[in-house]
Amino acid sequence: MTKHAGYKLTGGDIAFHTLNYAFFTLFSLACLFPFYYLFINTISDNELVRIGAVRLWPRGVHLGNYIKLLSVGDIGQAILVTVGRSALGTGLMALASAFMGYLVTKKEMFARRMVYRAVVITMYFNAGLIPWFLNMSMLGLTGNFWGYVIPSIVAPFNIILVKTYIESVPAELEESAAIDGAGYLRVFARIIFPLSRPVLATIAIFGAVGHWNSFTDSIILMSSQPRLYTLQHRLYIYLTSTSNLGALMSAGSGGAVTEAAIASTLNMRTMQLTVAMVTILPILMVYPFMQRYFEKGIMIGAVKG
Amino acid sequence: MAMGLAGNKTVSRGRGGALVIVYRAVVCAALALLFAPGVNPIRFSGLISGNVSLFTCVVSRGAVLTPFTRALMRGWIDAGLLNLVYFCGFAMALAVAAMAVGGCVSLGNRPLRRLGCRASLAGSAVGLFVSLALRIVAGRFAALEESSRVDPLVPVGMLVFTAVFAIAAAMSAAALLSQDVRRPRGSVQAEAAEPPAMPAKYSLFLMALPFVALIVVFSYMPLLGWRYAFYDYKPGYALTADRFVGLKWFAYLFQNAATKADIARVMRNTLAMSGIGIATSWLPMAFAVFLTEMNSAAPRKLVQGITTIPNFISWVLVYAVAFALFSTEGFVNSTLMSLGLIAQGGNALMSGANIWLKMWLWGVWKGLGWSAIIYVASISGIDQQLYEAASIDGATRFGKMRHITAPGLTPTYFVLLLLSIANMLSNGMDQYLVFRNQMNKQTIEVLDLYVYTLGLASGGNSNISLATVVGMFKSLVSVTLLFVANRASFLIRGESII
Repeated sequence: MTKHAGYKLTGGDIAFHTLNYAFFTLFSLACLFPFYYLFINTISDNELVRIGAVRLWPRGVHLGNYIKLLSVGDIGQAILVTVGRSALGTGLMALASAFMGYLVTKKEMFARRMVYRAVVITMYFNAGLIPWFLNMSMLGLTGNFWGYVIPSIVAPFNIILVKTYIESVPAELEESAAIDGAGYLRVFARIIFPLSRPVLATIAIFGAVGHWNSFTDSIILMSSQPRLYTLQHRLYIYLTSTSNLGALMSAGSGGAVTEAAIASTLNMRTMQLTVAMVTILPILMVYPFMQRYFEKGIMIGAVKG
Repeated sequence: MAMGLAGNKTVSRGRGGALVIVYRAVVCAALALLFAPGVNPIRFSGLISGNVSLFTCVVSRGAVLTPFTRALMRGWIDAGLLNLVYFCGFAMALAVAAMAVGGCVSLGNRPLRRLGCRASLAGSAVGLFVSLALRIVAGRFAALEESSRVDPLVPVGMLVFTAVFAIAAAMSAAALLSQDVRRPRGSVQAEAAEPPAMPAKYSLFLMALPFVALIVVFSYMPLLGWRYAFYDYKPGYALTADRFVGLKWFAYLFQNAATKADIARVMRNTLAMSGIGIATSWLPMAFAVFLTEMNSAAPRKLVQGITTIPNFISWVLVYAVAFALFSTEGFVNSTLMSLGLIAQGGNALMSGANIWLKMWLWGVWKGLGWSAIIYVASISGIDQQLYEAASIDGATRFGKMRHITAPGLTPTYFVLLLLSIANMLSNGMDQYLVFRNQMNKQTIEVLDLYVYTLGLASGGNSNISLATVVGMFKSLVSVTLLFVANRASFLIRGESII
């Protein structure tokens, strides 16, 4: 901000800025340090980690935990399921939002207002968890991978975002294409879709993060199908039930294990922290790319439907 | 707008007359019946749940086969008969789908109307044939040697579907012969003049239809689930008339002592945690105001970037972080112990003390930076000249915050405040589910989590009907609150929020 440019800093200003910077530095540290702490604990000597001796810097660095993790338990399967639902669900959602957002801008559509309202109302009202679950099981989507994907295809909020965005695109572009004889599908594919790429990137990134992070649907819908658990669900199980981990560790080290072998190879704590790190990593990696879409996303979102 | 399909002018207008409209209505009715559990035409045995519709049977074959696992093993019924039943159901669903596609196509001009009516006629003829063939299946069920074991019955749905297919066949045939649909007299030339085409308004509508269907299926159909509130429902049983209990569960909520105590406790937790959130809802605004006071851009962007990260990790990961920091071997304990401040570490996550406050703090850690973004954006929209003028008039830093920034942010704050009041009962369940344990479960359970636990996660003690009642109350109260908030916003600011 240039608000104070040209003015001399008074003593009060200096005190204010010192306090202000101190506060934000501390808060930023509080937001960053946990991830750093998690990370150094997954690459440090496992025995030191077990007793909580790794605090500020890594000690006895090794990557064994990550290598072992992939051969252990059902993490691989969970990663597959999570990546699968994120890719498929996000792709379909973005396409559907783009297309539906385009369609509802067409004034000549039959029953357009009704269609648009039917979509928007669902943002403010839902039947509740139990009826939703019963509906899903009635549709055969419990214990079924598609239960993750199909319900998330139509996302009312994203449709509104795309609609608002398309309305801001000059109508002449579309009209000239229409005069040249292009149908709706052609106009959408050749003009609208490429033009709305920025807003589609925004909703796709948020959608992908949502898919990656979601775990209640895994708990509620897939309880009968452990092979369909998402990574978050697995992590939750590892963090909360120690008996599962015991089994996991003995599976990982070939069955016959002594106390000492456990301590030196894998222990519960390193295991839990490593799974957590693997789960966080993709988010932290796409985060720098997401950042530029924040303000854009939140500001378009502020526009009413 | 000069938009539209090429050759739009040649498309004949009009809906195709009364007969065609009646025919479309019949097609819609058939489509709806596909989802109605009461009229499942292939429920030949009491073993098949009365809650599954024909659609469910077709998409998940298990709904037909699983109930007969024992009967198949004992040889009371043979797999061939069951497969026949499934096949018939599948064929009927396809027939209905053909009718529906025909109905959609019939929105076009005359040649398309004809095509649509033909498709529907073919579909309903197939459906009629299959539903008549089902009578033979019913006979075979009744003739089973151990028929009492499989509880044979003649499904009402079979009769209903037979009737619907018959009517649909008649209507589409009649429509096909009507003035508006049949080939105009004299011919090939007339036909050549009118190629198949769909008016723009209907082609747009048909393009949107699949998505509307998804919305209906996933957002509106669950509302039908509210009927479970009026039944004594146990998973696997049908919602038959003798299980209808009227308002029993509604009364139960207010009469059963244990439930009443639970509800009171859960409501206290819900309102307390939402209340703390609402009382501190100005924090993001303050965060943004002080953040923009930082006088160089680079650190400001950096802080903003860093403080938003926690918003993008799930509550499970927040719990993982909490676990890493606060468990017995965690950072906090081991640091305090190495400094000699405490002798023995304990697991802070396992303690039930100050749960409301702790949950609020985790919420702040996760959400503060993110919630501040909207205010940062609003502040950058405030006219800089106001600040300059105020400086010249000798306003202090805090004076400017109070008299320029704060009034500039009030509208945004007000909308968000009203929304958070409207969402008072919806804390979500993720956060509380992951942090819940034996020590804190009395004070951490919020309404959403309670509904989940009561309805789906109590094993044999789960009570779907009661949980549905609680969920219904929640939905209705939330919607009412939203309307009140909207009205309040309209009265105070002359602008609605939804």
